[in-house]
Amino acid sequence: MNYEFNWFYVKKALPQLMDGLMVTLQLTLWANIIGLVLGFIVAIGMLSKIRMIVWPLTAYIEFFRCTPALIQLVWFFFCVPILFNVWWSAEFMGMLALGLNLAAFNAEAYRAAIQAIPHAHTDASTALGLNVLQRIIYVILPQALILALPVLITNGIGIFQQSALVALISVQDLMYEGRYIATQTFRPIETLTTVALIYFAVSFPVSQAVTLVERRTKRLLAS
Amino acid sequence: MAFVEIDGLIKRYGTLSIFEGFDLNMGSTDRLVLIGPSGCGKSTLLRCMMGLEDIAGGTIRLGDDDYIDGAPNGKMKLNRQVQKEVGMVFQHYTLFPHLSVLGNLCLAPVRSRGIKKSEARDKALGLLERFGLADRANFYPSQLSGGQKQRVAIARALMLDPKLMLFDEVTSALDPELVVEVENTMMELAEAGMPMMIVTHDMHFARNIATQVVFQERGKVIEAAPPKDLFGNPQQDRTRDFLRNVLHIEG
Repeated sequence: MNYEFNWFYVKKALPQLMDGLMVTLQLTLWANIIGLVLGFIVAIGMLSKIRMIVWPLTAYIEFFRCTPALIQLVWFFFCVPILFNVWWSAEFMGMLALGLNLAAFNAEAYRAAIQAIPHAHTDASTALGLNVLQRIIYVILPQALILALPVLITNGIGIFQQSALVALISVQDLMYEGRYIATQTFRPIETLTTVALIYFAVSFPVSQAVTLVERRTKRLLAS
Repeated sequence: MAFVEIDGLIKRYGTLSIFEGFDLNMGSTDRLVLIGPSGCGKSTLLRCMMGLEDIAGGTIRLGDDDYIDGAPNGKMKLNRQVQKEVGMVFQHYTLFPHLSVLGNLCLAPVRSRGIKKSEARDKALGLLERFGLADRANFYPSQLSGGQKQRVAIARALMLDPKLMLFDEVTSALDPELVVEVENTMMELAEAGMPMMIVTHDMHFARNIATQVVFQERGKVIEAAPPKDLFGNPQQDRTRDFLRNVLHIEG
């Protein structure tokens, strides 16, 4: 290989990449807010015994877990406006699709965590005179949230990476800017490597933090 | 009149029958120790006493109150006010791992009884002091030994001023050297006059703490007597067989 590296253009385009990163981070943030809140509500619904609630929620979760995020995104972008006659921005559609995708995965994380709390704690709560609601709020949920935390963070950082897909629906995120600069400057190696490194630089500390959080929650709940 | 009156208790798990008309009385100064082969319903009896099991028939009275009125198909009536007067400690501690020792002790008084936080805290610290656990108040359960966890669990139950305490094999999960500290705590409670129902496999401890030992088998009381009589001069063949087996294994 006698390729001559030239980082000049990437350096020059760095502010533009940073703008893209900001869009990516905003998308990630909002998708996570939707994912954490909606996922929780869905999980609670899944634990009810009412079929009219459980079935639609199961359909929602399985649909989002069993189709590619890319098709979800493109579907939202192209089909939702036609079907519902709403014309929201690509950013908003991207945020919605990613948020709903994340909520489906998070719902499963919450549900698994809630079901992992030993039944003995229910007995102990009853013996202490706590009613059902008090038991759920003060005994089950705090433990479940601690237990689910590592998975929720992993899912959250996963959506950060998945968010690169929004470039395909013309959202000017980090990926979009990277590809644009790469074609403009004819420097795909330097540009795309830089973009990959930026994604890595954000993801890696978080994934390391997950290991730490996991160790601590495991120790706390081991009793 | 007896302090606890169990009358005609019926308990089934599906087609498996645990009790078909079980009777037992207990006085207000009694410490009842239930012994018997595993699977004879000792723990189930305590769980019924705590209101954790649905009973298909029979009644339980506590003090002057109707407590549980059994009925088939989940129609059992349970007096929640009376239930609050019963405390229970389980084999596997069941401390809440996300709360500190103090948090475990104060949760129920503050959240369910509406006692002021500061008041609950003072009471908790008093109990921990009494049990020699004052320096563990801010520890989390995962930082405690098994014996300490179990003593915290006892303190947690005492926070609610129970009129009757149930102990379900509370030393069975402990390493042998930690058993004594828990048993000492229970002895201290006994000396303070707390009525108790205890399920244990430790015959030595049973002899020390009980005012009345109840030997049960297949859901029936075979023999009930003060410890020195039941251990020293058992009247029934089955009691003798059982004691010979367990004491032989232990001795």
